[in-house]
Amino acid sequence: MLTDRGTGVPGHRRTFAALRKWVAQALAVVRQVVGAPDYVRYVEHHERCHPGAAPLGPREYYAEFVSRRFGSGTSRCC
Amino acid sequence: MRRPLSVLGWTAIGVLGATGFGVLALRRGESINAAWLLVAGVSSYLVAYRFYARFLALKVFAIDARRATPAERLNNGRDFVPTSKWVLYGHHFAAIAGAGPLIGPTLAAQFGYLPGTLWLIAGVVLGGAVQDFTILVASMRRDGKSLGQMAKEEVNSVAGTAAMVAILAIMIILLAVLALVVVNALKASPWGLFTIAATIPIALLMGWWMKALRPGRVLEASAIGVTLLLCALVAGRWVSQDPTWSGWFTWTGPNLAWAIIIYGFAASVLPVWLLLSPRDYLSTFLKVGTVLFLAVAILVLLPPLRMPALTRFTDGTGPVFAGKVFPFAFITIACGAISGFHALVASGTTPKMLMRETHAPLIGYGGMLMESFVGLMAMIAAATLEPGVYLAMNVPASTLGPTAETAARKIAEWGFTLQPGTMEALARQMGEATLLSRTGGAPSLAVGMATILGGVVSGPGLALWYHFAIMFEALFILTTVDAGTRVGRFMLQELAGYVWKPMGRTSWYPSIVVSSALVVAGWGYFLYQGVVDPLGGINSLWPLFGIANQLLAAVALCVGTTILVKMGRARHAWVTVVPLVWLTAATLTAGWQKVFAADPRLGFLAHARSLAGSAGPDAARMVFNDRLDAGLALVFMAVVLVVIAASAREWWLVLSHRRAAEVHESPFVETAYAD
Repeated sequence: MLTDRGTGVPGHRRTFAALRKWVAQALAVVRQVVGAPDYVRYVEHHERCHPGAAPLGPREYYAEFVSRRFGSGTSRCC
Repeated sequence: MRRPLSVLGWTAIGVLGATGFGVLALRRGESINAAWLLVAGVSSYLVAYRFYARFLALKVFAIDARRATPAERLNNGRDFVPTSKWVLYGHHFAAIAGAGPLIGPTLAAQFGYLPGTLWLIAGVVLGGAVQDFTILVASMRRDGKSLGQMAKEEVNSVAGTAAMVAILAIMIILLAVLALVVVNALKASPWGLFTIAATIPIALLMGWWMKALRPGRVLEASAIGVTLLLCALVAGRWVSQDPTWSGWFTWTGPNLAWAIIIYGFAASVLPVWLLLSPRDYLSTFLKVGTVLFLAVAILVLLPPLRMPALTRFTDGTGPVFAGKVFPFAFITIACGAISGFHALVASGTTPKMLMRETHAPLIGYGGMLMESFVGLMAMIAAATLEPGVYLAMNVPASTLGPTAETAARKIAEWGFTLQPGTMEALARQMGEATLLSRTGGAPSLAVGMATILGGVVSGPGLALWYHFAIMFEALFILTTVDAGTRVGRFMLQELAGYVWKPMGRTSWYPSIVVSSALVVAGWGYFLYQGVVDPLGGINSLWPLFGIANQLLAAVALCVGTTILVKMGRARHAWVTVVPLVWLTAATLTAGWQKVFAADPRLGFLAHARSLAGSAGPDAARMVFNDRLDAGLALVFMAVVLVVIAASAREWWLVLSHRRAAEVHESPFVETAYAD
């Protein structure tokens, strides 16, 4: 089996991991375009800016996100 | 070496665009290809973006690459989020694109394709994109403040209050006319109604999925939702062919109007996660996907335009809506050329997501160019129809008469040909009972879209593509209706809170129910009257909407001009003053004619007079509605004149040094993103 020099990880695994990363990035872009919540991004932001405090759970985060984005109506154009 | 190449490239684009306009202007009496329209449009967009948007950014507003944006300074991981520029471009476009740029050009095609096309291109380059960009920059420099707040702070509180009243009144008319378009598209169409009705249980399922089953998994839920929706679309054919089921889903106009009114109320009082947010995601995916697909299909197919460049209806005798090409072409095509509503988006979520100041031209100016391109596609879709077919679909039955034969005779009087069998054959092809007098623009746009999409992917058949197009339009119009009702409810609560404190508490249930009911009653009244109007409703409501939307744009341009004057850039203020003057002239002329014109087809008051003494059962109601519409048009005009006067006073005070030129920008903070 082909292995990457030095790492011992099989080549197809590495390709698979790269593909997964690429798909995750593409989905994150789609989320931003349609204005969908991104829990992973929120947790990263929280850990960077408020270290020590516990972030909201996924359920609470979503509830807060939805009421913030849609609560007072969205500006949708004609 | 790079510079000469760039000069050469831009000269080539300029020449190409000029050739496109030349062909559009000079070819007469033979059909031309849609490619010329696209060449003229796209070349103009490129040149305008490269030169004019850059001039606005560097010279007029002095965009500062070193200045941190609100997204960077106030980043909270929620609404203030620095977003990469192409992602934000998509996000902003999805928020501004709606039914306006699709329906407006379709209706304006009664003048021929030329007036609408020229206004779509010139209007966006000099007006619409400038407005969106100006308001985006102004809001970005003020921590994402809204248009109303900026009008209050930068002009004065009179202008602020006037802007808020204008926004609420415009919202009411906008929702009524859009809902009317949906009613006319779904009336007596079991296939269309079944598909749209299916979106409600689908949205409830998505809402439950995202809230309870898999919290926050929007993409997953949307994928399921879109799949189910396409299943419902396919199943709709079976529903329309089954006698029992098609009976259940064949509704009259008034019943559909009531259903939409009840739906709007429910969406406003129910929690947003249940109905509103899932439908918003569903419609966003469908909207962006369909617009991209349509663009590709038009480029692949390059259909010939069957509509003449100019029709005889430019003289004001048009049967789709009354009025001459000036001013009515300019208010009928509202959103694709310039739209006041965009000022609400450009001062809403988008300024809170800009990562760098230097991204503002792409998002604000470039986003609006794309909207204008959507308008061009709608114009192409309408102009690919035979003029006779276009008229048979868009002229109300009170003019065309009840049958294909009477319609064909009437259309022959106008100098166009329509074989009586053509409409029946077309209706059969599209899977509808009839396509005669299907006013509102949506059905004729759907026939045009089905012909184009079906020309590229023929497998599903024209009937499926037709109903796909109807579903696409109705879904995002209804999304505007539910979101707009909610926005209107919050504005009403804020206004009512000044009168009686408890009404201002936005989460107090009695206040929610009362204010939602009032907003729904407001647009519901105009919707219902439009549905039962023997003249079809579109003739009176669409111009009112156009006038209102363009007047909101005038308010936004007033705010923009005031900010420029106060920034000490009065010598560049023509960038907003020129579109402001044109818009005010066109819109006030249109408003004046709608109220006072002597022709009863055009003027509200003349129409009311023509009914005086009539013994018809509807006469009294129609007279009342004519007077109401006239009053509303006068209120819109008065409000915008107040804002213009208040702004002009500020300009004079600042320019004559009676008042210090002070802008309320947030203080400068250096960005950490600098390259």
